[in-house]
Amino acid sequence: MSILVSSDSSQVQSQAAAWRHGEYKIPGGKLVVVDLRVAQGRLADVQLSGDFFLEPPEALDVINAALTGLPCDVGAAALEAAVRAALGPDVEMYGITVEGVAVVVQRALA
Amino acid sequence: MSGDPKRSDWADHDWQLIHDAPQMPLQHMALDQVLLEEVAAGRRAPTLRIWEWAAPAVVIGIFQSLKNEVDAEAANRYGIQVVRRISGGGAMFIEPGNTITYSIYAPESLVAGMSFREAYAYMDAFVLQALGELGIKAWYQPLNDITSEGGKIGGAAQARRGGAVLHHVTMAYDIDAAKMLQVLRIGREKLSDKGIESAAKRVDPLHGQTGLPRETIIGRMVDTFRRRNGLSPSAVSPAELAAAERLIREKFGTEAWRAKVP
Repeated sequence: MSILVSSDSSQVQSQAAAWRHGEYKIPGGKLVVVDLRVAQGRLADVQLSGDFFLEPPEALDVINAALTGLPCDVGAAALEAAVRAALGPDVEMYGITVEGVAVVVQRALA
Repeated sequence: MSGDPKRSDWADHDWQLIHDAPQMPLQHMALDQVLLEEVAAGRRAPTLRIWEWAAPAVVIGIFQSLKNEVDAEAANRYGIQVVRRISGGGAMFIEPGNTITYSIYAPESLVAGMSFREAYAYMDAFVLQALGELGIKAWYQPLNDITSEGGKIGGAAQARRGGAVLHHVTMAYDIDAAKMLQVLRIGREKLSDKGIESAAKRVDPLHGQTGLPRETIIGRMVDTFRRRNGLSPSAVSPAELAAAERLIREKFGTEAWRAKVP
C-alpha cells in the first residue's frame, strides 16, 4: 500500500455518509430498529432489525429494498405506501407494522 | 376456538418426544430447522423436543442485529457462543441448567385459521396447565410471553415452513441477571412501554417461585403434555443428525448466517 492509495481511501471514507440509527418500540408490539445512510438525499443501505416476527422471513429484505432509494424527505405516508406496495398479501407481520417502519425510519433521519 | 374445517386437533396426531443428552448451541439451531422440515415433509410425526444445553449461549432472533443485541467482548470473556435461530423474537441468554427450553414441531393444520396471537397462546396451553399443577400462577401475555405476578417466566417464537409450524420457548429456571445484562444490550427504547426501569426485574425465574428441581418441572411438563395429547418416546434419527451436521457447516456455523443482520 502506498501512502497515495491510503490517502485516497481515507478520502473516500470521509465522503461516505454517516450511519444513522433509529429505534421504535411499537406500543403493544416489538422493537423495530433501523440502520441506514443518506446518499444524495436518498435512503441507502437500509437495514431493518428487531425482535418482531415476519413470515416469510425474506419479507425483511423486501422491506429494506422498498425503502432504499426513496428521497429522505418523502414523509410517513410515502414511506408506508412504498412498504405496503412491496409486500405481497401473503406476508404476515406480528409485533411490527408498516406504520411502525415509517416511524423508525423518520426517527433515524431526525 | 373452533370452526376452521382445516383445523386438526392435538389428539389427531401421533406425538413423539425427543429428550436427548446435552447438545451444543449450533446443534440445537440446526435440529430445529431439520425437525421442522421433516414434519413438513411428512417424514416425522409431530414432535415435542426438550432441549438440554451443553454450553452457554446467546440465541438471537433471525431479524436481530448482532452488534445491536450482543456485547461481543463480554460474550467472549464469558465463553458464551452467539448463535442465530430461524425464528423471530428476541435474544435469549442461556446457561446450562438455568433454562428450560422446548420446541414443538407440528403440521400447520393444528393452528389453521388462528391469528398469530391465538396460535402462540394455544401452543403453550399445556405448559400453563403444567405450571398451574405445580402451584405457579402463570398466564400468556401477548404477543409472546409466559408471565406471572412476579414477572416474566419465558418467551416464545414461531416459524412456519412448508406447511409446518415450529413453536419454541425458553423459560428462565434460574438466572445470573448481572451477567445477562453485561452480555445483552437491552436499550431504554425496548422497555419504553413496559413501565419499568430494569430488564432484570422483568424476569422471575421458576426456581425462585417453586424451589423445585429443574427436572421436576420438565417432568411435569412432559407428563401434562402426555395426558392431554399422548406422547411416545422418539429420538433424532441418524439421517436427521447428518442433516443437522450439514446445516451447521453450510449455514448456522457460518459468519454469513450469524451476522446475517450485522
